[in-house]
Amino acid sequence: MSLKSPAPPAPAPEAPYRAPRRVGFSQTLSRWDVKVSPYLYISPFFILFAVTGLFPLVYTAVVSLHQWTLLGGQGDFVGFQNYIDVFNQPNFWKSLRNTFSIFLFSSVPQVVVAIAIAALLDQNLRARTFWRMGVLLPYVVAPVAVGLIFGRLFADQSGLINAWLGAIGIDPVKWHVDVIPSHIAIASMVNFRWTGYNALIFLAAMQAVPRELYEAAIIDGAGRMRQFFSVTVPQIRSTIIFIIITSTIGGLQIFDEPRVYDEYGTGGADKQWLTTTLYLYDLGWGTQANFGRAAAVAWLLFIVIIAIGLVNFAITRRISSGDAPKMTRNQRRAYARANAARRNR
Amino acid sequence: MRTTSRKFIAATAGAASIALLATACSTGGGGGNAEETTDPNAKITLTVATFNDFGYTDELLAEYTKLHPNITVKQTKAAKSDDARQNLTTKIAAGGAGLADIEAIENDWLVELLQVSDKFLDLKDPAVDGRWPDWKNAAATSTDGRLIGYGTDIGPEGICYRTDLFEKAGLPTDRAEVAELIGGDSATWDSYFDAGKKFVDETGIAWFDSAGALWQGMVNQVEYPYENEDGSVKPLADNTEIHDLYNKVLEASVDDKLSAGLAQWEQDWTAAFTQDKFATMLCPAWMTGPIKQNAGDAGQGKWDVADVFPGGGGNWGGSWLTVPASGKNTAAAKELAAWLTAPEQQIKAFENAGTFPSQIEAQKSQTLLDSKNEYFNDAPVGQIFSNRAAAITVSSFRGPNYFKIGQTITDALRRVDVDKSQDAAAGWDQAVKDFNALGL
Amino acid sequence: MSSIGVTQQTAGKGAARAASKKRNRKLVGGYDRRPRWVTYAILALAVVIGILPLYYTLIIGSSTPGEIAANPLPQLFPDASLFANFSAVINSTAFSFWKAFGNSVIIAVVTSLSIVLFSTLAGFSFAKLRFRGRGPLLLFVIATMAVPTQLGVVPLYIVMSQLNWIGQLQAVIVPGLITAFGVFWMTQYLESALPYELIEAARVDGASLFRTFWSIALPAARPAAVMLALFSFVQQWTNFFWPSIVLNQNNPTLPLAVRLLQANYFVDYTLVLAGVFLVTLPLLILFIFAGRQLVAGIMSGAVKG
Repeated sequence: MSLKSPAPPAPAPEAPYRAPRRVGFSQTLSRWDVKVSPYLYISPFFILFAVTGLFPLVYTAVVSLHQWTLLGGQGDFVGFQNYIDVFNQPNFWKSLRNTFSIFLFSSVPQVVVAIAIAALLDQNLRARTFWRMGVLLPYVVAPVAVGLIFGRLFADQSGLINAWLGAIGIDPVKWHVDVIPSHIAIASMVNFRWTGYNALIFLAAMQAVPRELYEAAIIDGAGRMRQFFSVTVPQIRSTIIFIIITSTIGGLQIFDEPRVYDEYGTGGADKQWLTTTLYLYDLGWGTQANFGRAAAVAWLLFIVIIAIGLVNFAITRRISSGDAPKMTRNQRRAYARANAARRNR
Repeated sequence: MRTTSRKFIAATAGAASIALLATACSTGGGGGNAEETTDPNAKITLTVATFNDFGYTDELLAEYTKLHPNITVKQTKAAKSDDARQNLTTKIAAGGAGLADIEAIENDWLVELLQVSDKFLDLKDPAVDGRWPDWKNAAATSTDGRLIGYGTDIGPEGICYRTDLFEKAGLPTDRAEVAELIGGDSATWDSYFDAGKKFVDETGIAWFDSAGALWQGMVNQVEYPYENEDGSVKPLADNTEIHDLYNKVLEASVDDKLSAGLAQWEQDWTAAFTQDKFATMLCPAWMTGPIKQNAGDAGQGKWDVADVFPGGGGNWGGSWLTVPASGKNTAAAKELAAWLTAPEQQIKAFENAGTFPSQIEAQKSQTLLDSKNEYFNDAPVGQIFSNRAAAITVSSFRGPNYFKIGQTITDALRRVDVDKSQDAAAGWDQAVKDFNALGL
Repeated sequence: MSSIGVTQQTAGKGAARAASKKRNRKLVGGYDRRPRWVTYAILALAVVIGILPLYYTLIIGSSTPGEIAANPLPQLFPDASLFANFSAVINSTAFSFWKAFGNSVIIAVVTSLSIVLFSTLAGFSFAKLRFRGRGPLLLFVIATMAVPTQLGVVPLYIVMSQLNWIGQLQAVIVPGLITAFGVFWMTQYLESALPYELIEAARVDGASLFRTFWSIALPAARPAAVMLALFSFVQQWTNFFWPSIVLNQNNPTLPLAVRLLQANYFVDYTLVLAGVFLVTLPLLILFIFAGRQLVAGIMSGAVKG
């Protein structure tokens, strides 16, 4: 990008836009521009949120403090009783356990594989477009097709995977009975859909890494792995944070896959794969008919997600800053050049 | 922001109270003639929301316009009943905006809708007295006596069986003889199971598909399964009637190995139709469709239907047409619903979509009685299911907690019969625990 | 969020040694070098896994219901009955295919353009401009993603019915005009991909902030923007749940209309999957187009820099 010719190392200024030293109307205008524009640019999100997002949030909070059924509507004000009731339901805790377990089985391999695929794609490939779009294909496959296929793969008696396992002398796995196998099966559905998607997000970030950094690393004799860990990873750090936070949020809200995992959509006969959103749905729309408690679960889940997101964020930050790989001198120079063009915050 | 949201909440509350008012007016007007306040000749469009396939073709709806030139009827279809239920409940929860003039509903939603029966027009009308069997009307009547739906179709149950497997076991294959084998007119669950034991001894193949499927047939014959007449909950631990039934079905399923241990609608269950996994199943009229689809071309002629059902008659499923009270033209909508569910129209619907009519008179119609099913060895399914419909006497009571409690038992049956992760006693203990956790 | 910045880096020992030693290996490990067959093999595996469901869709779409009951994989190649099923879907009397198609195009195009424009604008502001409350506001944007969506359905429906939008396309379009995901993504991307120096240069030339955004940030954001547009388009194109609540069959989107093929006690999967493939086909065409854009975007970005 800016590295065709080395930029003069400019000190990072305090504020990005100091008004040019000119006096008069244009200066006033410019100052207004600098002051108001940032807010103006982010305003569309907040305006839309005010119209379509805020009311649902407040509504949910109000519902969670009342006795409330979906169809019957508002009942008595009960304070935090719904929250207490939820805490006393064993299925709530089971659902949290399942959510975390499925989340770990999906997010961790997904992010690792996605970044590896992105690194492969970030090369001088023949037929680049084909490979890039090829890995994104699972994202467009219709849920009904995915459901049919995974149903046939993971069926306990008639499923293909158990047939294959049988062929090599392994006992069939009870995908719909045992807790961990059911989580693995569900996680594989999640990973199928989202790995390529995340890989392309990583790829977009990798494409923006200045090629000079790689040249420098190569001059220093860094191999592919070394280049990856000491150039790519630090350079796409903000995207890694993005992926980890969004897949945490998405992973903890997992709903569609466990719901279609069997025909009943209630998380299994022993609630083996009842996730928290599925539990929420059952409370609000299913047999439980308790919208108030469903709203309470929604808020609890919200708080849990925020907490986990913050923990993840802290860990990610530490890993990618604390374990920063050692650099060669040429790399460091290239970094200096690249970083000079950025603002350090 | 705060004020906006308050306004919205106020608006919803307003909408809800308007809905209440509308209900009050329409019921206050008396149950008699449909035409009251509105001008009967004003041009209006009525919408009918259905799902699956009710057999209401454009031609059929156009007939109504011919009779009532000022009324145009539009149908909006949802694909699956789950889609329709989601749609209906969301709109009711949001105050009723966007609901169709007539909303079709399914048997299983009645429990929750009857809790809010004031959101629907009371459809009681002398003009339709005696159109349906009592049990069908009773199911759609709230505790305070409001009829919220006109019945469309029902699912009278017979027994579907595999002729080739019966032959292999040396059992009769003719449908009349099979009916006798299972117990004929006085068939009980015990006589059904006894026939099964003979079959299993001969072949080693299971007698029926799933304990859960049997359970739903058995529990539907209990008048007050989980709740008392006043809606109060029977504690599950002391509910000996249910506990006995639970033990009976599991003894047959697991100890006597009569069940194939499949969960209905699951992939393994679907796949079992192309293999020799079980010989009979409880068979509501509409089940002939899924059997044909799952068994495929290779199953042609291997299936038949016997005119028998253990423990008296049984019904599984069925639908109603309701008129949401928040609609603009509730009186006209009620009239249309009455017309659509009249025997003549329901017979046409049967011809269009195969929905088995709930109307007593429609069940006597020659078109229906003459209908045969080629896939099932040309069985006279019209005649058979009409007989099965006539045998239904009981509609079991479903209070507000029916499904919550039922779920604890069906989960237990699945753990024991399908998952095989518990024995019957442990399954029951956990069901009682789950019941207690409901905090009823 | 202000701490999401460029990492502090430290140089290791022996850097100079390594540098002088390996200088001649530049071309061997260079970026322009074609990757080895292992790379292609791994990618091919990933693509095959991705293609299989589509292939399966086509196979089922060219079978009859009797065939798929007998054999889960009735044939190896799609055949002419696929087109018979296609035309059965397009000419179905249950819904108007082309009206649904038109609605889907309108919704997907409008929302994905809007998401890209507004997200890039907001991302530019969050990543590169300094203003009071920036960190908390960005955190707030991210936090809105953590609100479980299931529960928002009823209140959002209330909002839409207050606006009298039930049954109209704007009930689907407006809530999708900008997403927290898009804002966050663009913020993170521009954070590292847009050199500060470029902005400063434009500012010295007296360009307004918006002009800077338009001529500097937007081009730099191109690869990410293309990706975001593609994702948003696919998401709206395949969206079923919310449209099924606020729209109806008289004014449906494509997934809503095609869902009607499942309207029966038993589902004819041959028709359903033929319909599903028809819905997917425009996306595959879009992929080819977007894939090229993605490459082009990177090239032009590099040249501009």
